[in-house]
Amino acid sequence: MQPKTAKKKPGSMNIIIVGCGKVGHTLTEQLVREGHDITVVDTNERVIRDVTDVFDVMGIRGNGASLTVLEDAGIRRADLFIAVTGSDELNLLCCTIAKKAGKGLAAIARVRNPDYSEELAYLRQQLGLSMIINPELEAAREMARLLSRPQALTISAFAKGHAELVRFKIPAGNLLCGRTIMQLGDILQFNFLVCAVEREGNVSIPGGSYVLHEGDDITIIASSRDVHRIFESIGMRSQAVRSCMIIGGGKSSYYLAKQLLEQRLQVKIIESNRQRCEDLNEMLPEATIICGDGGDEELLKEEGIGSVEAFVPLTGLDEENILLTLYAKRVPGLKTITKINRITFNDVIDGLELGSVVYPKYITSEAIIAYVRARQNSIGSNVETLYHMFDNRVEAIEFHIDKDAPVVGVPLMELKKKDNLLIACINRGGKIIFPRGQDAIQPGDSVIIVTTHSGFGDISDILN
Amino acid sequence: MNVKSITYVLGWILKFEGAFLLLPVLISMIYREIQGWAFLFVAVLCATCGLLLTGRRPKNPAFYAKEGFVATALSWVVMSVFGCLPFILTGEIPNFIDALFETVSGFTTTGASILPAVEHLSHTALVWRSFTHWIGGMGVLVFLLAVLPMVGGTNMQLMKAESPGPSVSKLVPRVRYTAQILYRLYIVLTVLQFVLLLFGGMSPFEAMCTAFGTAGTGGFGIMNDSMVRYSPYIQWVTTIFMIIFGVNFNVYFLILMGKFRQAGRCEEMRWYLGIIAVASLLIFVNIYDAAVSAEANLRASVFQVASIITTTGFATVNFAQWPTFSRVILLILMFMGACAGSTGGGFKVSRFMIASKAMTKYLRSFLHPRAINKIRFEEKDVDDETLRSVLIYFFTLIAIYVISTLLVSLENNDLVTTISSTLATLSNVGPALGKAGPMSNFAAFSPFSKAVMIFDMLAGRLELFPLLMLLYPPLWKETVQEARRRKRRREALSGTRG
Repeated sequence: MQPKTAKKKPGSMNIIIVGCGKVGHTLTEQLVREGHDITVVDTNERVIRDVTDVFDVMGIRGNGASLTVLEDAGIRRADLFIAVTGSDELNLLCCTIAKKAGKGLAAIARVRNPDYSEELAYLRQQLGLSMIINPELEAAREMARLLSRPQALTISAFAKGHAELVRFKIPAGNLLCGRTIMQLGDILQFNFLVCAVEREGNVSIPGGSYVLHEGDDITIIASSRDVHRIFESIGMRSQAVRSCMIIGGGKSSYYLAKQLLEQRLQVKIIESNRQRCEDLNEMLPEATIICGDGGDEELLKEEGIGSVEAFVPLTGLDEENILLTLYAKRVPGLKTITKINRITFNDVIDGLELGSVVYPKYITSEAIIAYVRARQNSIGSNVETLYHMFDNRVEAIEFHIDKDAPVVGVPLMELKKKDNLLIACINRGGKIIFPRGQDAIQPGDSVIIVTTHSGFGDISDILN
Repeated sequence: MNVKSITYVLGWILKFEGAFLLLPVLISMIYREIQGWAFLFVAVLCATCGLLLTGRRPKNPAFYAKEGFVATALSWVVMSVFGCLPFILTGEIPNFIDALFETVSGFTTTGASILPAVEHLSHTALVWRSFTHWIGGMGVLVFLLAVLPMVGGTNMQLMKAESPGPSVSKLVPRVRYTAQILYRLYIVLTVLQFVLLLFGGMSPFEAMCTAFGTAGTGGFGIMNDSMVRYSPYIQWVTTIFMIIFGVNFNVYFLILMGKFRQAGRCEEMRWYLGIIAVASLLIFVNIYDAAVSAEANLRASVFQVASIITTTGFATVNFAQWPTFSRVILLILMFMGACAGSTGGGFKVSRFMIASKAMTKYLRSFLHPRAINKIRFEEKDVDDETLRSVLIYFFTLIAIYVISTLLVSLENNDLVTTISSTLATLSNVGPALGKAGPMSNFAAFSPFSKAVMIFDMLAGRLELFPLLMLLYPPLWKETVQEARRRKRRREALSGTRG
């Protein structure tokens, strides 16, 4: 799996990114931070200039599907090719040509049109791509998960969905207030682990004597089956949402509605474009499609914002989504999810207390970074999944362990681990284990690590 | 403005200068010259100041275009001021303005000297003079970028501010590796020339100084009459290497990558070589002297043309005494300069081409008012922003040239001397015509004129705008205001807390 060309720095890869929109920009930022050599290709000179001004990357203007342009961008030396232009077809074409032009290169394409969404696996296999990403679909999956556990602010799935990393705020007067982490095991009969706590802007990985307070933003990891009951036992209302109102009828709305309908929820979509409404009606016959302006307060009242259980604004404008959420917060007990595509004022958004916020661009870049780290690393383990939490301050990484890994068979208490690092849980054949000091990692396990370090690409990175 | 980041960059520049000063110290040990102590003292001084400034890495990484410009311009000023100290301390150039002129002329690869008798200098001082050319040729900030890992936007802004040419193109994705490749090419070519000069019978010391002077397209010689006394072989080698160092270094990178066809297609290089050929031919015919061989005539014309267009400034004949036609050709070449992305100075062939293409397209727009008139250069469309920057650059260059000529004219020299000496300094050529010709020097100018020319040399090497930025009052006004506001806010905050 080692990149073939001679490298200046071990593990640093030559990556070409075609298309420099929101996702391309975020990817560039994250991959530069990971220490790779990036070349960005876009047809728009302005966009190229903006990205090369901020990041240390090379910019090439041109069509990413043209061989000449790709040669200019150094396709022969590239290890990874990522196509994230606005057009699915162009992305697939770029990747096909890049695969032919560059030997042994891995290609990733973004394909988000619902027309292809059922065929992604087929496309991936036939075109020899390493990965096809569909940010809208991934975002919809995350939103659907959040609607099934409305108390959580964010949910990230690990171990093929067997384990979940759940973030929530401790409400006033909750059972958890004033308890130490150590006491939690005594009062609750379920296995889970507190991975990180954010208090007054500071994030820490708590030790056993850490005392939880009201208002703490805590992240726990637990087996997916238990999450529901954990919430119940700490006294947080835990009724899955049965009805949902979606504002805007774009791709993510379609994907979300489709999943919710499969779970037998009542779905209502408000979309202003008549033609789009008719299309949606055809594609989602079970949903109620309302043709009207989602930004109209009267319409929202008329369509029952007061009685619906979940409200998800998915318009193309982040500002409108935020405003709609702020409005919906006035309805007590209403679960809201805000999708943010573009704007970057993370601190401000956090301060607004919007509840659950979903960033499709981060979902995409996390999936790609997990792939990149898995590809560049070598000995005995592989990154399976990766999430950034708390503004990139904390990383949660799942490693798949082979028999050659240096940690295999050693009791955890004897491993010389780095500080600020937690072995959160082990997935052994679908069973989630919360390891104790005398437990050891076995080959075939996947191990989930939570850490404030960044850039781990191999399980051996946890050692000092 | 992020003052701490800028002083941090300055600190590193000083540390590097301290290291560079060890070369003359080494030479002084070989030749057992007492001047080495002064250089050693300044080296230690630079290193100390550098260490003080780089004690702590700045916490705020914000580094935008303005920081890049200011850091670059200040680096060159600071470097020149420290670089001239040894000359004063050893007493070889006792006057501050003279010493600064000589050092700036070195770093900016101008090669204009105020020394009436170069031969009297110590080896130590001579090697430092030539070495400043070599350092300034590729740029000391490019060197900094090659050696030092910098955060985020810092490197791109510095690279942009220091590299010559209308647009910066990276060879590889990262600035750091681009800078390393550039310096590697630079070193290899310099060593190659050094070896070839040794074959021509030069002493290692002479060969080293000449190679430094050629590589940086500087032009400080170690003799007053420049290269008149060297053999035809040495003159030809120097001619070829001057031309080589005037080519855009991207071409060499392409050759290195095995892309010979692409390298050969470089439009700027073709024009550059074409201009050299035509100018040499015209001068050859114009100055033809039956008294010497045709080879000698050809050598004289090609050497001077290469020396002037690359803005090196070596001379094998006194071209100040050539016929007017040939001298005017040299003046035109002085203005034009070498390729972008080379070590040469001047307006740059690529800018000249873009501007002239813009002019013909403009004429065409009267013939076909509705035609789409995109300018193509190097097989790519030139975007409006680049075109605009080229035209503004042209105007600014002319404006600075006119103003500094006006200031120098106060001295009441003859017209040729006045016109050519400011052009030769602004374009970083060195020797001018008239009284400041290749066989004489700039010693006779008044301190005021020298100061004007010091400015011209720095402005020319840094492509005008970084230096103009330093003199742009709103920048400083905003910086002061910003600092004052910060202080007030800090006070207000501590007030509420206390």
